[in-house]
Amino acid sequence: MTGVLVIEDDDRIRLSLVLALEDEGYAARGAATAEDGLRQQRHDPAETVLVDLMLPGIDGFECIRQLRRDDDVPIVVVSARDDTHDIVAALEAGADDYLVKPVAVKELSARLRALRRRGRAMADPVPSLVFGDLVIRPEAGEVTVRGRPVALTRTEFRLLCELAEHPGRVLSRQQLLRRVWEYEVGDDRLVDVHVGRLRQKIEEDSSAPRHLVTVRGLGYKLQR
Amino acid sequence: MRPVGLRGRVIAGFAAGALALSASMALVSYQLIRGSLLAERERTAVRAAYFNATVVNAGLIGDEPDMVEILRSLDTGSDRRPVLRRAGIWYARSADSGVTASIPDPLLRMAEAGTPGKQRIRADGQPAVVVAVPLSDSTVFYQIDSLQELERTFQTLAAVLTLVAAMTTGAGAALGWYATGYVLRPLRSVASAAQEITAGDLSARLDPASEPDLVQLTTSFNHMVDQLARRMERDRRFAADVSHELRSPLQTLAAAASVLGRRRERLDDRTAMAADLVTGEVARFQALVDDLLELARSDQPADRRPVRVSELARRVCRTRGISDQIIDGEDGTWLVDEHRIEQLLANLVDNALRYGGGPTAIRLGCQEGAHYIEVDDEGPGVSPEDKEVIFDRFVRGRTARARGDVDGTGLGLALVAEHASAHGGRATVHDRPGGGARFRIELPGCGR
Repeated sequence: MTGVLVIEDDDRIRLSLVLALEDEGYAARGAATAEDGLRQQRHDPAETVLVDLMLPGIDGFECIRQLRRDDDVPIVVVSARDDTHDIVAALEAGADDYLVKPVAVKELSARLRALRRRGRAMADPVPSLVFGDLVIRPEAGEVTVRGRPVALTRTEFRLLCELAEHPGRVLSRQQLLRRVWEYEVGDDRLVDVHVGRLRQKIEEDSSAPRHLVTVRGLGYKLQR
Repeated sequence: MRPVGLRGRVIAGFAAGALALSASMALVSYQLIRGSLLAERERTAVRAAYFNATVVNAGLIGDEPDMVEILRSLDTGSDRRPVLRRAGIWYARSADSGVTASIPDPLLRMAEAGTPGKQRIRADGQPAVVVAVPLSDSTVFYQIDSLQELERTFQTLAAVLTLVAAMTTGAGAALGWYATGYVLRPLRSVASAAQEITAGDLSARLDPASEPDLVQLTTSFNHMVDQLARRMERDRRFAADVSHELRSPLQTLAAAASVLGRRRERLDDRTAMAADLVTGEVARFQALVDDLLELARSDQPADRRPVRVSELARRVCRTRGISDQIIDGEDGTWLVDEHRIEQLLANLVDNALRYGGGPTAIRLGCQEGAHYIEVDDEGPGVSPEDKEVIFDRFVRGRTARARGDVDGTGLGLALVAEHASAHGGRATVHDRPGGGARFRIELPGCGR
């Protein structure tokens, strides 16, 4: 249950990434199609999945959706496409991070480490954080809304905990990028799309959020 | 002199047309009315003169008739003065000899000769008509009718007609103003559509049904926009395709170079050197592709939002390991494209790092309605001939060439200039007092 699965149709890119990731100490393996990748993930799940967006057959977006349906495995998109539309669509489909090719191996490795850390408990765990009908149990990794448990991905959970640790305080997008994604400088869209996904899961009406509110020009905050 | 606009010319044309028309109408009306009124007045005068002459003639039957008394018995208004000339002597109702003096000699002679006549004259400086009716060989009855009343009517008429002509001219100008406004209205919708398109909304079109007479204009305009949109879409897709095609092999190279780098110690010297070259070139190639794509996208409009530029500058410094103490300036928000301004700052700082020994100051502020960004360095500065071209693409300054620079893409400052102009601003380079270069960016739109 360790290792990285590289879903990439370009043989040379796949091979070079697998080689380079193995050098970085990961057990990496490749899949040339989304179908193959999904099958491998079902039979022998990898810890993290790298996905290209342009794949023959099932494309990257659909591949992300299907991976997401099964579990909360961290998904990183590695694509040559860098327009906003693709980035937002991939993140909305469920990706945790988005990297534009060419990615330096050091950077990729740093992203993967950050993702792995995200799965762990908070540094100073508290039994539970209550925001009205929203209850977060960081130790158990559980979130309930009106008593009903909600399934969050690791990134969503980490983002929620980060906001919950500072109740009522505004955290800027860059602060959240540093704390959740461990980016020194990152893309605001990562935060925005994840906040959107989080709202759909924890808010009664995600277009009129009560708990996770936007503070215009500043960032986000979590409130009762 | 500024040429007169279409609207001005149409208004002037309408006004001139209205003036010509109304003036000639007024003139003709005036002449006709004046002619007919004068003729009517003269006819009345002649009729009255003959009637009065008959009365006078009847009174002259006696041997020693009292001329003055006879004249006084005539029923005349204040505007009518009868006089009688008998055997070379003038008789009048009262002492108004001035009147007789104004009767012209030819008329006098004609009447003495027994021919009746009438003539328009000026008596006491007033217009009048004199009618001469010979009664006998030595007697002639004259009647002088003042036309003063009629003259006043003519003056009033002239004033009214002039006023009407002036009003018609004004109405003509107003009509011209309205008509041009009406005709230019579809053009304004063309202009606003063009503005929308310039602002990036390529879906803006004109409705050909709204103005049947301008169908040709709207159709060709829409056709032009279609073509433009298609071309832009093609360019955008081309840039995206190029980006994809270049980035994919670069990814392989980057990963493979990393594998080589990790095994550098195990390689012999020559192979290690070759591996270093590959690694270095991959990095440069990557920077070049990124800059080229950025440049290809730079003609798109700036995506303006409130941005704390001082925060961007701090971020740029932090990621490059430079103290943010060198940043000096306001902490407020600017309405700019965050991504572009961050890249602009990053490129200026990188430029200073590469050629100027690192930035010594970054100043942000507002001057004469424009935000400014200044980045100083203590390098050798920029030579006058380089100042002209340093913002051009693939131009490396003298310093860069002298150092055999291969790290830069030659596009960094071109991108700075592009990002500045996307905000309607400009980029310039100056000599820093005390040596070094000072790059200055001005972005209009700092309020207050």
